Amino acid sequence: MRIAVLRPQVPFAWGGTEIFTDRLVSELRGRGHEADLVTVPFKWYPGTQVLTQSFLWRLLDLEEADGARVDLVVATKFPSYLARHPNKRVWLVHQFRQAYELDGTELGQFGDSAEERALRRKVQALDRIALGEATKLFATSRNVADRLERSTGLEAEVLPHPPQGLDYRCDAYGEFVLSVNRLDRAKRIDLLLEAAALDPSLEVVVAGEGPDRERLESLARERGLDGRARFAGRVSPEELAALYGQCLAVYYAPVDEDFGMVPFEAFLAEKPVLTTSDAGGPLEIVSDRRTGLVVAPEASELARAAGWLRAHRDEAASLGRAGKAIAAEVTWDRALERLLG
Amino acid sequence: MKVAYFSPLPPERTGVADYSALLVPALETKVDLTVVRRGSRRAPRGTDVALYHVGNNPDAHAWIVDALRRRPGVVVLHDFVLHHLVAGMTVGRRDGHGYLDAMEHEHGVVGRLLAHGVLDKRIAPLWESRPADFPLPWFVLEHATGVIVHSTTVRDGARAAGYEGPVSLVPHPAWPVPRVAPERVAEGLVVGCFGVVNASKRIPELLEAFAPLRQEHPDATLLLVGPTAPAFDLERRLQRLGLPESGLVREEWVDEVRLWRLLAGVDVCVNLRHPTMGETSGSVIRALSLGKPLVVSDVGWFSELPDAVALKVPVDEEESDVLAAALELLASREDVREAMGRSGAELARREHDLERVAERYAAALEEAAGGDAVNEAVLRDVSKAAADVGISPAGAEAGEIARRLAEVELGR
Repeated sequence: MRIAVLRPQVPFAWGGTEIFTDRLVSELRGRGHEADLVTVPFKWYPGTQVLTQSFLWRLLDLEEADGARVDLVVATKFPSYLARHPNKRVWLVHQFRQAYELDGTELGQFGDSAEERALRRKVQALDRIALGEATKLFATSRNVADRLERSTGLEAEVLPHPPQGLDYRCDAYGEFVLSVNRLDRAKRIDLLLEAAALDPSLEVVVAGEGPDRERLESLARERGLDGRARFAGRVSPEELAALYGQCLAVYYAPVDEDFGMVPFEAFLAEKPVLTTSDAGGPLEIVSDRRTGLVVAPEASELARAAGWLRAHRDEAASLGRAGKAIAAEVTWDRALERLLG
Repeated sequence: MKVAYFSPLPPERTGVADYSALLVPALETKVDLTVVRRGSRRAPRGTDVALYHVGNNPDAHAWIVDALRRRPGVVVLHDFVLHHLVAGMTVGRRDGHGYLDAMEHEHGVVGRLLAHGVLDKRIAPLWESRPADFPLPWFVLEHATGVIVHSTTVRDGARAAGYEGPVSLVPHPAWPVPRVAPERVAEGLVVGCFGVVNASKRIPELLEAFAPLRQEHPDATLLLVGPTAPAFDLERRLQRLGLPESGLVREEWVDEVRLWRLLAGVDVCVNLRHPTMGETSGSVIRALSLGKPLVVSDVGWFSELPDAVALKVPVDEEESDVLAAALELLASREDVREAMGRSGAELARREHDLERVAERYAAALEEAAGGDAVNEAVLRDVSKAAADVGISPAGAEAGEIARRLAEVELGR
């Protein structure tokens, strides 16, 4: 089949969706499909740009390319699913969260004026219309599917995607807790730094880039974490596999996260995941004392949990191994069979 | 966003008052709501959008329509047929010309002539004899910046009447089911009917259908809850049908707690009507929440109920026979009653959830208050981008862009 994978592109930004969609294209090609990635730049501010930039997707003609029919398109996140196609499948990574659960929080975008309120509703209306056109609707997690059902009444099948291909291995249960994430406020990496400030024996490595880096580095300095908190920036796949292989555990506790690949990656390296009770999607696979530790979103709780893992490395290893058994179930063969079926 | 809320409220005994008592606390969590005192004709200062609950009863709603005429806003159309309201606000205020104009506006010269006939007492008042033929919704719709309806029936009616503004379909919210002990009024099967006892609730047809059911199921009981309309002679009808007193239990007005207890105690809930004014039924919503199988008339909003939750009886010459067959089916098939009840409870939970309804209200209000500005901004940006690359407003490309905008409801 000729398959177009649709992905909005925020220039100079790189994250989980980019990794996922690149891999999706590669996996489709590996199974004999003619697959390609279609991207359109996306800027969601100021004012009504969130609508006009989204509308660009609606103007695309994706039914044909170079004189040959495109059999189906796979849209991933807002606003790529505004594209028109008779066989539009949506594998939903997330909606435009500022218009939903982030509205009214410090991570929200829309103000209290009548125009801003109406703008937010227009985004919601776009979702209802465009997602309602999908011939099949999947969500990467139960959390994403539930949000979709609550906001639009549309029901999606839960279809997690496998993590990126790395040379996953477990070399040791070392001294440091690893954070792998884009550095922005919603990822709540500051909570891990605050935990390190409470426990002088806790070491952390923060992998990833993002707009919150300066603030986080400043916080680390203020808390006197020099030497115990290392900001590794964007790391290569080899470096990331090595970090996974050597860490004690992986910290992953964004606020009400969609799902995220990181817990699966941690599990493939046989590492337990340290998360919080309000993390959303990760809680679908991270169970307290079964595949990781789930604590209240407080630095003291996090510090205590990390300390427990350091003092109980055998238990940490068995939690990680239990996670690996779950991650092994999520394969591209199974995912693509459902996506294309 | 500041919203002025115009509605009847308890202790007024109307369905809309009960509705608002349920909705207001939920809506208050989503918008800055001011409930306007009865009789006020102005929204408070600083109001961004006013919300007007309008039904067919002039005693309950005339003051609200007066306020609407002063300041356009979002109208919740609880009834589509508003002839009685219009008559109350015109003829009832000695404004015959107003009535003539309203009839002419919607029904042309024929309407005006008929209105003359009514005013001259040459023909029976149309609001009593033929209201559904002359619904007069434009009397209200012409002042609406947006409309909220509970059914596709009313939405289609508003569109057919020429209303072109935004129309939001928002289901009637369901009340939280109180923890009450069911009150069984008899040992055998209990068929309950809640509401005013009169001809438009099809009580004569229900009595006719219940008589043969009672022959097949001597322990079956009909429970009628609600005041009897003045012109309706229930006693005489019972005697004529030979229904024994033991087969009927009457309750006049009951308070909310008792209503829930009685509803919880029935096996089947019947809610019929003809003609319909386009209204929904609070009793039906309560019955759904309680998981009771329903028998309804196949008209208006009632027709839109899923078949899995309600048996629908057409209003025609075979109405009583079909109704009797529906009652017989439910009386003899407990499994059908249970399956319908489960489907009803699920429908109430899914479609009529109060939080979800309040969210839809907030969406409609926010779109009404700021939607035009957003639409204009989108059109301005898209038009400018098109013009910058030489696309003429009259060209085919511009038409294509307009079609794509319309598909996703942008720019309007």
